[in-house]
Amino acid sequence: MSSTERLAVSRLLHRVGFGPKPGQFRAMLAQGFDKSASEVMAQTPPSYVDVKVGLGIVDLGPQPQPNTETVVPYFDAKRSQLRAMSLWWLDQMVLQDFPLHERMTWFWHGHWATSYAKVDEPLVMFDHIDRLRKHALGNFTKMCEEMVIDGALIMWLDGQLNTAISPNENLARELLELFTLGVDRYSENDIKEAARVLTGWKVVRNSGLVTKNVKQSYFKPTTVLGATSQFDAVSLARFLSQQPNSQRFVAERLWFRFMSSSVALPIGSRVEAALSERELLPAMRALIISEDFTNPAHSLVKSPLEWLVGALRALRITPSTYVQPDALLNTLTTLGQRPFFPPNVGGWPSDQAWLSAASVQSQIQAAQTLCGRGDLSPVTQAPQASRLEALADWLGVAEWSQRTRSVLNTAISDPRRLTTLALVSPEYVVNR
Amino acid sequence: MTTMTRRSFVRWAGAGAVAAYTVSLEDVVRAAQLQPLLPGTPILVVVTLYGGNDGLNAVVPYNDPVYHDLRGALAYGEGQVIPLAEGLGLNNALQGFKTLWDNKQLAIVRGVGYPNPDRSHFSSMAIWQTASRSASKTGWLGRWLETQPADPFRAIGVGSTLPPLLVGERRSGTALPLSGFRIPWGEIATDLSRLAVEIPNESVLTATAASSIRDLFAVADTVTPVLKKPAPPTSDLPTAIGGNAGGDSNISQQLDVVAKLIAAGSPTRVWSVSLGGFDTHANEQGVQIRLLEALSNSVTTFMSQMRSIGKSKDVTLLVYSEFGRRVRANASGGTDHGTSAPVFLIGERVNGGFFGEQPSLNQLKDDDLPTTVDFRSVYASIVEDLLATRSSDILNGWQSKLPLLSGTF
Repeated sequence: MSSTERLAVSRLLHRVGFGPKPGQFRAMLAQGFDKSASEVMAQTPPSYVDVKVGLGIVDLGPQPQPNTETVVPYFDAKRSQLRAMSLWWLDQMVLQDFPLHERMTWFWHGHWATSYAKVDEPLVMFDHIDRLRKHALGNFTKMCEEMVIDGALIMWLDGQLNTAISPNENLARELLELFTLGVDRYSENDIKEAARVLTGWKVVRNSGLVTKNVKQSYFKPTTVLGATSQFDAVSLARFLSQQPNSQRFVAERLWFRFMSSSVALPIGSRVEAALSERELLPAMRALIISEDFTNPAHSLVKSPLEWLVGALRALRITPSTYVQPDALLNTLTTLGQRPFFPPNVGGWPSDQAWLSAASVQSQIQAAQTLCGRGDLSPVTQAPQASRLEALADWLGVAEWSQRTRSVLNTAISDPRRLTTLALVSPEYVVNR
Repeated sequence: MTTMTRRSFVRWAGAGAVAAYTVSLEDVVRAAQLQPLLPGTPILVVVTLYGGNDGLNAVVPYNDPVYHDLRGALAYGEGQVIPLAEGLGLNNALQGFKTLWDNKQLAIVRGVGYPNPDRSHFSSMAIWQTASRSASKTGWLGRWLETQPADPFRAIGVGSTLPPLLVGERRSGTALPLSGFRIPWGEIATDLSRLAVEIPNESVLTATAASSIRDLFAVADTVTPVLKKPAPPTSDLPTAIGGNAGGDSNISQQLDVVAKLIAAGSPTRVWSVSLGGFDTHANEQGVQIRLLEALSNSVTTFMSQMRSIGKSKDVTLLVYSEFGRRVRANASGGTDHGTSAPVFLIGERVNGGFFGEQPSLNQLKDDDLPTTVDFRSVYASIVEDLLATRSSDILNGWQSKLPLLSGTF
């Protein structure tokens, strides 16, 4: 097996998914990268039926007045909803064989980064993520048209305070800068005009229902990026997403998260070309079949969630039925990446930012605990002489460095210690 | 899991056949303990205010009719601010800063920004932290770190992720979570120390992953016992400040950790702490008052702690935000992203008073303030007069500076 093939399959599993389940890496190597890549990309979107009902994610009504008897049950219900939907999402990431759509939904969560910390309504956050899931590998224009009037996003970026008399630019600015075009690809006047277009939207907090208050809306034609039109929120979002700069921007963001945060997207890349109709699936295909995908220079640090979900998949631990589900959520909080809580509208950081003594500490603690509770059979069943290879294949590591190899060798007879060390080794923390 | 002491780490590390690897780790630890910061070595504490602090309502032109006209209900008038001079007054929440001002320990640099201001939080904060317009991945203090001997204690950011300003290419500052460090012990500690060893020709990211493990050992060992100690006293403060008022805010906890570690002789030249929440698009007044109070009280407490341990001459604080806010208020009782704003420099080495011209409210461009001082002039003064390093090396050729600091060391 060529080392390039191992690298490609490792990247496919870790970057387009959340790392291999036991046996997946070897199976993919056996059938080759090309066939594996087609298989992964051919995943049909999962259909989740009645998830909200099952999880008890229902409209809790307006927040009760302080010191009334309904206050305590109300906040208890909110907490348990948030917990249930967090664990449910982790379950999907961990349990699906090829969680392509959840991986992409996770990517878009960091793109339209909206936090429960301000939205404060589980139902509305769930619907926000579900809307991203619906378009995760679909069409970017359609995604923009829906997201611009998404209840959680509007609340997050003060959209309901944006009125014709006095615009609040928060949503307009991030729509242009962070969601559709990229920084410096618009003028300050474009922001002001876009803010006018987005005036008048109201959100019912507890349900996320979005309505338009005509009296607070601006209805005259506006000029954005040189085009004067009777824009409304949806047509503005469509217009922005159709800009050549938007095509470039989406390609840049995919490149940044799936290929490299340090090397810029090359001019004229196939990823960008594949976005001509704003279709996302062809763009992801172009990304993984490009030569760059096996360029050793393009390593990426696994973000905390990617790291943890990868470990859970390998160890066959289901988050919602784990002995201490809350410990998993706490680990993510400590590591700085709990789902539904991006730190700000720019989303989570990347690469070096995740590599600190503080995160090493939390990862060691988590790895030790999980290795004591998970299924270590892929190494326990391998003879000691071939354990390092079995370990690399199990976790989807392309190659151990000499340094890591020598450390792992000292732990070769102790599967728990061996696996713990492998999970915190530079070769696992960084997807090379 | 237990807290590992330096001694137990050395014992475990020495138990296996790994002495060759552990010597370098041991060296790092020993360097930290045997070379505490010499008395008189300047220390910089960077306080980053995330979100865009409203400069106009922090240092207020309270008599300016244009200010009142544009700010409406958000404006502060005479009697609602602490008057300083030249028609400017401090937000009432900054009581502690007034004392510093009277003692000539507060420099207010007015109208600080950079050309063609960027109104994006992320771009503008990146510009401030990297001191670069291009997509530089290294922070200004990260570049300074690369001129220094390798030492994970040299620059520390309090918090679980490292701020970009402390990131260098090959050498970065250390992130120190508020809760301190607990590292595993026993066999796994030995193993981990060997996973942390540098090897030739590896990628920048795996090298950084390895060094983050090294840092955990080196820092945890020295830091943990220190954090358990009580904070240095604030005997010269009235209890209203040193006591409960605002004392539970996160920035006060961060500065408390910094104070303890400085008291313990940590060989750290640069500290970074932060306070977020300044993005006041709506209902600004109450929010900003609460934040400025937390800032003022925690800084005052910190400076008092520094006096009680005889370090007040060494420590200088820099307080900045990514931008100020639009002069004209919006209809949500808040303000949108703006441009220039005042920067504060605090300490006994500081030449107290105003620097830079107050941006004129009669020369607004799209309701935004002009910039009268480039922030790199503030950085250059710090780099040269505090960190004794050539500013042009750190700031991509930038040399111009302000007489903010007395170079008496």
